[in-house]
Amino acid sequence: MTFLFFFIFAGFALAGAAGVVVLRNPFYCVLSLVVHLISLALLFLLLEAQFVAVAQIVVYAGAVMVLYVFVVAYVGGGDKPDQLWSASPRQKALAIGFGSLIFIELAIAILGTALSSLGTEGATLSATYGTPAEIGQLLLTDYLLAFELASMLLLVAAIGAVALAGRRGGIAEDEGNLSPRHGVVHTPSPAATGSMAEGVSGYGVTTPLPDPQLEGRELQQPARTAAEDDR
Amino acid sequence: MNLNVPFALVGYIEPWWMVIIKSVVFAFIGLQLVPVVLMMERKILGRFQNRYGPNRVGLYGVMTPIADIIKLLSKEPFRPKTAIGWLFELAPILSITAAFGALALVPYGPVVDIFGTATGLYGIDVSIGPLYVFAFGAISFYSVMLGGWASGSKYSFLGSMRAAAQLISYEVPQGMALIGVVITAQTLSLTGIVEAQQGMWYIVPQFFGFVVFMVASFAETNRPPFDLMEADAELTGGYNTEFGGSKFTLYFFAEYLNMIVVSGIATALFLGGWLLPFGIHPPNWVAPFIVIAKMLAFVTFFIWIRATLPRLRYDQLMSLGWKVLLPLATLNALITAIIVVA
Repeated sequence: MTFLFFFIFAGFALAGAAGVVVLRNPFYCVLSLVVHLISLALLFLLLEAQFVAVAQIVVYAGAVMVLYVFVVAYVGGGDKPDQLWSASPRQKALAIGFGSLIFIELAIAILGTALSSLGTEGATLSATYGTPAEIGQLLLTDYLLAFELASMLLLVAAIGAVALAGRRGGIAEDEGNLSPRHGVVHTPSPAATGSMAEGVSGYGVTTPLPDPQLEGRELQQPARTAAEDDR
Repeated sequence: MNLNVPFALVGYIEPWWMVIIKSVVFAFIGLQLVPVVLMMERKILGRFQNRYGPNRVGLYGVMTPIADIIKLLSKEPFRPKTAIGWLFELAPILSITAAFGALALVPYGPVVDIFGTATGLYGIDVSIGPLYVFAFGAISFYSVMLGGWASGSKYSFLGSMRAAAQLISYEVPQGMALIGVVITAQTLSLTGIVEAQQGMWYIVPQFFGFVVFMVASFAETNRPPFDLMEADAELTGGYNTEFGGSKFTLYFFAEYLNMIVVSGIATALFLGGWLLPFGIHPPNWVAPFIVIAKMLAFVTFFIWIRATLPRLRYDQLMSLGWKVLLPLATLNALITAIIVVA
């Protein structure tokens, strides 16, 4: 029965992983990544690693992928992805290089140890294997250093996010509706300051900033006066 | 005789046939509680608003939920032209699946003897405890999100987007609020947590944890005053606007089931599950009734709040979650840890 479940979930995991790469609609790509992550969690369950399995679902499917879905549903979702850039020959060469490196590494792992352990029964597990208590014990004794370093890394990331968000310091008086995406709706966000839409479209990075004198002036004019009236 | 499940050890003590009977019975209890809660909500809300509530179908209107369900199930299955077919079908099914999956964790009683077989009066007793519910919460998020997105309607989409932001904001304080309980009980298993409350229910020493957990639960189950994803004045109806008939029934049932599950979890974590105060030790067969009575008390509280408080504004909701509840929950966990260790 374990074999049956293993092949079902492994199939789903592979199909999900392939879907991420093959599908053209970014929303479906994200969904297949979710399928992949949940299948991995089920494979962890088969390995009696319940805590890891649940952490996988709660952290990856429940938090990280939620953010992905959020962004893609707002700004992506077209049938064809925008052709923002095409890879340069150098990037292609780098991609092939890294790809083959990973392939060689995996091949060594599979040929070296994984194949030889196929016929065996596997390690004998204690009754408490994979429980949160045991994992916590290990994390706070044997792997304390790695655990603390990882938490420091997360702390640095959190502080960095707060600092980056704080540096913008709100919206100045003269910064109006410069973002060309928003049309007539007055959204007080200056262009190229890292809004979600800009981040995804690559606006301000790969495309030159529009001259506000020339572009979209007729559209923005009434909205801006309306906002001034409010003040 | 243990059930040989290929999955991680979940501590089944029953033979396999008892596990199957148990799952059917607990699923049935959940399904039967939904109309009860539905009726309670209407009657209590009616009384709060100085009216009778529904009283036409059956004695005192008790058959109203049945009429409701028949009406919903006999409606024409309708689908907007812009909807994405298979996702539109899948989303409500995901929603009810996640709700039933989480229901399995609610403990109704200790291990008892049924026809000479030792049976635990709970769906499953996992060593990861409440984390199991959070995992299903993550899946139910996708049902809401996909429902809104696949409807091909702006209002549904806006509703599901609000839900997305709300769910990820409130999952964090909800989880943090439980850490105090887990530290005090020194176990994650829900039956273990209930047994650890023999001396005193955790609502007393973990009062702040309880308050944070309840507030976050209101947001997690999208109940008023946090029902922003269904704010009908702004969004016409939220993520389920385009769903009708049986698909809407699934969403509807899942929403009420989620409320029942949260009540059950809160009962086990803070109100001592099947334990009674003042040293009363009833026989074991009373245990499920005690748990269900406590769950319905929680449901009444949910309805009471709905009748009392107005809906929050969206930015208020977000700042409450991140700036008030999360620091409170963290502080609670920290102080509990210091007290337990010291």
